[in-house]
Amino acid sequence: MREPNAVDFWRGIALITIFINHIPGNVFQNYTYSQYGISDAAELFVFLAGWSIGIATRGRDGVPEPAGRTVLRLLSRMVEVYRAQLVITAMALAMLAGAALYLDNPLLVEWHNAGPIFSDPIQATVGWVTLLHQLGFFNILPLYVVLLGLAPAFVLLSRVHLGLAIGISVLLYAVSLVFEINIPSWPVEGHWFFNPLCWQLLLVLGFAAHEWRRSSERFLAWRRRLMPLGIVIVLIGAVLSWFNLRPDPLAVPEPRLLFIFDKSYLSPARLVHFLGVMLAFQAVFGLIQPRARWLTRQLAGLGRNSLAVFSVGSVASLGAQLIRFWTGGGIATDVFVVGCGLASLSFTAWFVEWRSRSPRPSSAA
Amino acid sequence: MALSLSPSLLGGVSLALVSCLAFAVQAQSTTPQPAQVQPAPAPAPAHAEIPALQATAPSPDAPDPSLSPECRVPGSKLYTLAKLKAVKKALVEHRAVQVLTIGSNSGGLGTAATYPVRLEDALTRSLPDIEVTVESRGVSGEIAFGAAERLRNQVAEIEPDLVVWQVGGNDALARVDIEDFAQSLAETVAWIKSHGIDVVLVDPQYTASLAKDDYYRQFVQAIQKVAEREQVPLVQRYEAMRYLAGRAISALKGDTAQSGAGFRLADLGYRCMAEHVTRAITVSLLQPDVAPVPATPVPAN
Repeated sequence: MREPNAVDFWRGIALITIFINHIPGNVFQNYTYSQYGISDAAELFVFLAGWSIGIATRGRDGVPEPAGRTVLRLLSRMVEVYRAQLVITAMALAMLAGAALYLDNPLLVEWHNAGPIFSDPIQATVGWVTLLHQLGFFNILPLYVVLLGLAPAFVLLSRVHLGLAIGISVLLYAVSLVFEINIPSWPVEGHWFFNPLCWQLLLVLGFAAHEWRRSSERFLAWRRRLMPLGIVIVLIGAVLSWFNLRPDPLAVPEPRLLFIFDKSYLSPARLVHFLGVMLAFQAVFGLIQPRARWLTRQLAGLGRNSLAVFSVGSVASLGAQLIRFWTGGGIATDVFVVGCGLASLSFTAWFVEWRSRSPRPSSAA
Repeated sequence: MALSLSPSLLGGVSLALVSCLAFAVQAQSTTPQPAQVQPAPAPAPAHAEIPALQATAPSPDAPDPSLSPECRVPGSKLYTLAKLKAVKKALVEHRAVQVLTIGSNSGGLGTAATYPVRLEDALTRSLPDIEVTVESRGVSGEIAFGAAERLRNQVAEIEPDLVVWQVGGNDALARVDIEDFAQSLAETVAWIKSHGIDVVLVDPQYTASLAKDDYYRQFVQAIQKVAEREQVPLVQRYEAMRYLAGRAISALKGDTAQSGAGFRLADLGYRCMAEHVTRAITVSLLQPDVAPVPATPVPAN
């Protein structure tokens, strides 16, 4: 296994943050960094995914791997993520239905947009398997599936010129923002919670940051120099978030998505805030690593196995929500469910690595 | 819009509303849907307006006969009223009314039409000659934690005349702090109203297994308080379904232990929702412009 590094460490932080924030109302939610800024862990997750693509599509010697292999690698990852999304959605549906039966509570089958799957199964089955119908909190992997589908194009463009990949990405982002283009949801009216046409920019920026870091001294120098700016942005974000200040979406000029704080379209304010967070916290891993090796090892372990950990976290957070509902919540329940959840994330990371280390009996049924 | 603005049309619309409601209240038939009456070709009054028709307001305590039999609930258990200025203005100006529904779009198990489609039909029947379009959006997450923000963006995207909001389901199941929820709800309702858009709230469903859940009851009451304070009509789905559940129990001669009763009631709740919402809207439209808003009935515990 690779040594703890900043990317895996931050991805571990993002995974824990997403797990806790997906148990709404729990006491620990007040202490995640999402409460103190206008962007959150989703941005971090997607940016680091782009960074990882940068690592994955080069050999150990730093030479870009053949184009065909890159395309196949990214598409096979896309299939893997899609499969994970189907599995966790099916589990979530069964958990909601099972809890509704056990607690004799029909409200539970309506939770998190699950309603149509039970009341209108013919359309909604097509919807959730094609990712057009997404359960609440189960909407990050569909984004990731589409991003991995787009990624080969951007990676290959970047081999022509990195600026070309970024330019096309920015253009796609801007057009989607100005004309409010998003993938529709179906059968329920509306749109995807995470608009891939906008969020792809963050993936490409993560990828580009990795490329620049490898090859550009200037990038490293400017990254250090801009750190104070990042801190200022983080402080402004904290004030805006703390006092709940944000533009009125009916009072801003057109095109309004440029001015409001919108998660679906990754509006510019969120993007700027996130880049500020990256600049402000760039040195943190280097400070923590020598002082708390156990912590960085644990978090990096989660980050190394992010898909499995994220999947288990999604199911665990729904389980935690059901337990909170059933018991009525309270701090003891929160400590219990969050504690069990974190333990299961940690176990998952260990288990995946144990399994890949152990020889698998290929003929065993 | 196909129809142009003219005094005679305005008169026609007013009369249509008058006759529609008068008919609905007086008729003791088992009309399955809100009454449908064509506007009479009568001479138009000089200053046509949506009339204030307290005389025809339904009796609050008897089951409302304009509702289809399976959905029949007394007005006092179905809604609290408030003025709907934006919709009224649209009616007076005889322009199309756009409605945005927020929340589940279920119209009941196996029904041909979803709730937004049924609502559009029911509103179109109740407001003849006015074009009503209904758009719908689901909400992911909790009002107290970010969903209110997304809802604002959805309202800004569609800019409707009226928002019909099934509120609180996710928050109640997540057992968020009731005060946080109520504050967030009040702020969001006030914001929607501040932009000249009407709001009708629909409170969460009743189900027997939650009848003794104090948190849930307080949660429903918190929504009623917000509706009263912010002066927006409220469809009391909780009360209405509790009434329907009581009726079902007496019909079954006390046999409450039948399995799946809660699920059937939830289904009935969805089947009736379009009618119930339409009724609350049409009766709210009859609110006089000067009279005080009627007191919210205290929810029975």
